[in-house]
Amino acid sequence: MSEDVLVIGGGIAGIQASLDLAEMGKKVYLVEKKPSIGGIMAQLDKTFPTNDCSI
Amino acid sequence: MLDAGRHPNIKIMAYSEVEDAKGEAGNFKVKIRKKARYVNENICNACGECIEKCPKKAPDSFDMGLRDRKAIYIYFAQGIPAVATIDKDVCTFFLKGRCKLCEKICKKGAIDYEQKDEIVELDVGAVVIATGLEMFDPSHLTQYGYKRLKNIITGLEYERLINATGPTGGHLLRPSDKKLAKKVAYIQCVGSRDLNNCNYCSSVCCMYAIKDAMLAREHDSESDSYIFHTDFRNVGKWFQKYERRGKDEYGINYIRGRVAEITEDEEQNPVVWYEDTIERKVKSLKVDMVVLSTAAKPSSDAEKLSKMFGYELDENGFVRKNLPYPSDTTVPGIFACGFSQGPMDIPESVAAASAAADRVMETLAGLKLKKRA
Repeated sequence: MSEDVLVIGGGIAGIQASLDLAEMGKKVYLVEKKPSIGGIMAQLDKTFPTNDCSI
Repeated sequence: MLDAGRHPNIKIMAYSEVEDAKGEAGNFKVKIRKKARYVNENICNACGECIEKCPKKAPDSFDMGLRDRKAIYIYFAQGIPAVATIDKDVCTFFLKGRCKLCEKICKKGAIDYEQKDEIVELDVGAVVIATGLEMFDPSHLTQYGYKRLKNIITGLEYERLINATGPTGGHLLRPSDKKLAKKVAYIQCVGSRDLNNCNYCSSVCCMYAIKDAMLAREHDSESDSYIFHTDFRNVGKWFQKYERRGKDEYGINYIRGRVAEITEDEEQNPVVWYEDTIERKVKSLKVDMVVLSTAAKPSSDAEKLSKMFGYELDENGFVRKNLPYPSDTTVPGIFACGFSQGPMDIPESVAAASAAADRVMETLAGLKLKKRA
């Protein structure tokens, strides 16, 4: 049995899931189809509620 | 993002896709295709000299094609991993067999035209699906004139325009004549809540249209915004307050009514025809630019992955939740979070991601106990 985890998608959800799992001691493979992680959120200028930068 | 890149327990496999999967909870065998970048990831330090000298251009997909990038490019400046990638489909060397300028310029010798796609096999105990969303293409909704009329853009294109690092340096320059757009109309529910397209509410558009209109006013005190909405669906903590703030502090005009058609005058100014459902009158409004708040759809890979792993999708193509566990899919050991499960905003996606991570931990611990017993 393997205890490693595969996360498919490197947007905000995938990144958060990976970080949580990694913090809890699991080895995580984070797969993203684009050349770098970040997803749609990286493309956004500012976000609710404070209108601060998204990344 | 940076934290994920630095964490010793996370291996980022960018520019990669899942090719094949089999197995069950605790024992999945997954094949990942690591696409060739033609640049050695371990050597490239993203200095950008090759990009400067590269003679070939192509539309920049990160900037929604609003400007060009080179054939060798870094997807976006803060991206992780920070390495260059060669776009084989436009690179002069791959098309015509000569050039190799980037190889000559790279002092570190990171360019590798011989690189091949690599298949990596992973043994994992659990899988988290976080494939997110894709924007709906409104081109076939001809009444809105997207791609037919020049000064009509989508919400995500607007995000790039208003961004200081974007193609216009944060100035809201309209596509036809690069003039500053002062009067902007936002059209809600483009593709969403539409029986023929996305038969659901995308849930994030009302809020992002208000935010977009606020940003326009922050960038330019004379800007004038009109949001044409079906009805506002700002349901969440402080959402209502934000909507009021938009009206009271930023002077946004909220108009209840769906837009029937957008035409253009001789100066390429869009003219919005709509029914004001409060006054019950058909009216028109001339503006400088129109932003379509397009629907968000499940990723184009959602179906392929669901077939590969065997979990179910719902009638709209989102991953079906296996209630009472909202993070579970219909296959044990496979979990989902974020927009892949259905419309949700950033805080909800983050919460769903943490929930999925917890379910993974629970499941793996359970399997381990069972094995010991």
